[in-house]
Amino acid sequence: METLSFLMQGFAVALTPESIMFAIIGAILGTLIGALPGLGPANGVAILIPLAFSLGLSPTSSLILLTSVYAGAMYGGRISSILLNIPGDEPAMMTCIDGYPMALKGKAAEALAISAIASFIGSFIATIGLVILAPILANFALKFGPSEYFALFALAFATLGGITGKNQFKTLMAAALGLMIASVGIDISSGVQRYTYNILELFEGVDFIIAIVGLFAISELLFFIEKHAGEGLKKVTVNKLKLTMGDIIAVLPTSFRGALLGFVSGVLPGAGASLGSFISYTLEKKVVGDKGTFGQGDARGIAAPEAGNNGAASGALVPMLTLGVPGSGTTAVLLAMLISLNVTPGPMLFTQNADLVWGVIAALFVGNLVLLLLNIPMIGIFVKLLSVPPKYLMPIVTLVASVGIYSVSHSALDLYFMVGFGVIGYILRKVDVPLVPVILGMLLGPEMEKSLRHALVLSDGDWGVLFNSGLSIGLWTVAIMGLLLPVIIGPIVRAKMAKSKTATE
Amino acid sequence: MRLNDRVFGMLMLILAVVYGWEAAQFPEPFGGEESVGPETFPIILSFFLGASAIYMMLKPDPDEAWPVLPMLLELISVVVAIMIFAWAIEPLGFIPAAVAIVSYLAWRMGASIKMSLIIGVSSSVSIFLIFNNVLELALPLGLLEF
Repeated sequence: METLSFLMQGFAVALTPESIMFAIIGAILGTLIGALPGLGPANGVAILIPLAFSLGLSPTSSLILLTSVYAGAMYGGRISSILLNIPGDEPAMMTCIDGYPMALKGKAAEALAISAIASFIGSFIATIGLVILAPILANFALKFGPSEYFALFALAFATLGGITGKNQFKTLMAAALGLMIASVGIDISSGVQRYTYNILELFEGVDFIIAIVGLFAISELLFFIEKHAGEGLKKVTVNKLKLTMGDIIAVLPTSFRGALLGFVSGVLPGAGASLGSFISYTLEKKVVGDKGTFGQGDARGIAAPEAGNNGAASGALVPMLTLGVPGSGTTAVLLAMLISLNVTPGPMLFTQNADLVWGVIAALFVGNLVLLLLNIPMIGIFVKLLSVPPKYLMPIVTLVASVGIYSVSHSALDLYFMVGFGVIGYILRKVDVPLVPVILGMLLGPEMEKSLRHALVLSDGDWGVLFNSGLSIGLWTVAIMGLLLPVIIGPIVRAKMAKSKTATE
Repeated sequence: MRLNDRVFGMLMLILAVVYGWEAAQFPEPFGGEESVGPETFPIILSFFLGASAIYMMLKPDPDEAWPVLPMLLELISVVVAIMIFAWAIEPLGFIPAAVAIVSYLAWRMGASIKMSLIIGVSSSVSIFLIFNNVLELALPLGLLEF
């Protein structure tokens, strides 16, 4: 019951007026970020980090703000799936299948309301899962020595491409590039300068916040201009909401199943939210069988993937908080936030910064409730914003991103770096090299190298130490499976996902 | 055509070799050689990058089309414009620089000149006011300082 008292303390933090204010602001911003075209959740959170930083918010407030943004972005992503048949992000793809047909039948408002309720249930159950599982995992991770940590980092990179990843070697290449960028600067343990070429600004290394904003926001701007996507999406209108208690009760069992499946796939390395929503949808179709009208606007077909992807989003916080190893792009950005606030994630977080962790977990509950309450009455406003063309929006986003970077150090040089990373991001996306492993490499590089060196110093240079405990062998096995499985079953899963999508069109 | 991956793989292979070679040249740390030094991890990385670069050259994916020349020039102009904006914040001041960059970007994305200017002026002034007065983060006034 220790957990429960910690959680109560967390609520004491999360229910202060200041925290509630940040949760509300975060929830609104997050929904906007999720709903607006051209701004993914990772992108949106990345732009907000330097702002939170230069405002001098406390770690707890910044983290409450950004986790609410994260939760909100998952809500926002479904709006364009349902109304326009365009998924806001990849996990929202499955929501199109039943959401769009329902909108065509003139029941867009009901579809949006049901998805909001399912999202709430998904997040709520997964956050309870987080409360139960995180302390257990953190306790277990205290057993990890440097060689286990090294194996764990390797595992994080190996599974990052996910089961549905296309080219494992490109993920590997991206991770290597990120780790290489992280090695620039003065080596902490020996004082040797590495790749600094006597440029003073490089002595402290490359700031990953600048890199993240450049890689995501600036490259996105370049893609928008190239694709002439400035006009945006067509205008849509939403009917008046007519939802009965019966409708809500009908989707409850579906939402619960989706939430659990989503949570599990969020926690597991390499699965992630896309797989969470896919599995939830497929299972629901099997469970309901012929009684359902899946693909033609069945409410359960919206509830299942929405509960699944929100469950996975909260589940993904488990490895990020307890091990310091994020499993997705957005959680990687949240990790960047923690590191830049001098909070080291990992098992010690639960003992050293208990009030912060539990405050954030409690804030997730509060944020979700805020989101549910906001989403049903305010849906009309979000829908209106959806039709703001990117040609007006993207320049302003670029300006806000630049101001954020500029206000941290007041140096134009940081902005040059940001633009440079934007160009690199554009080229990498053109050759299909994923950006998330680059960022993860930059974030985890110093820790990964440190654990390798600790392990080898302790063993006096014997490389066998990396494989000498059952635990590290287990981690290496999972890592290798993470690299090999996508090659074998990846094409099958991807074909199935594509098939269920096209079958409805 | 599968040229993109081949060329990019080649570049990455060169990077891997240069990176690994430089790591091997690091000066010996103060206090003498140890079993693991500052060069150990970079050398491992250069092997991984090299291996994936070679794979990329041998088994390239189909190309995504590169922009045609006029579009390429346009993208370069956008990149240069943001660079100029970064340079201009201090000497010219935030508002003039921001009006210019936002209007230029909006115009390049297809907005009319009039709308671009409206968006540029309104967003720049409101962001300046929010930052200076609400968030209390001073942005340079530049030319408007008198």
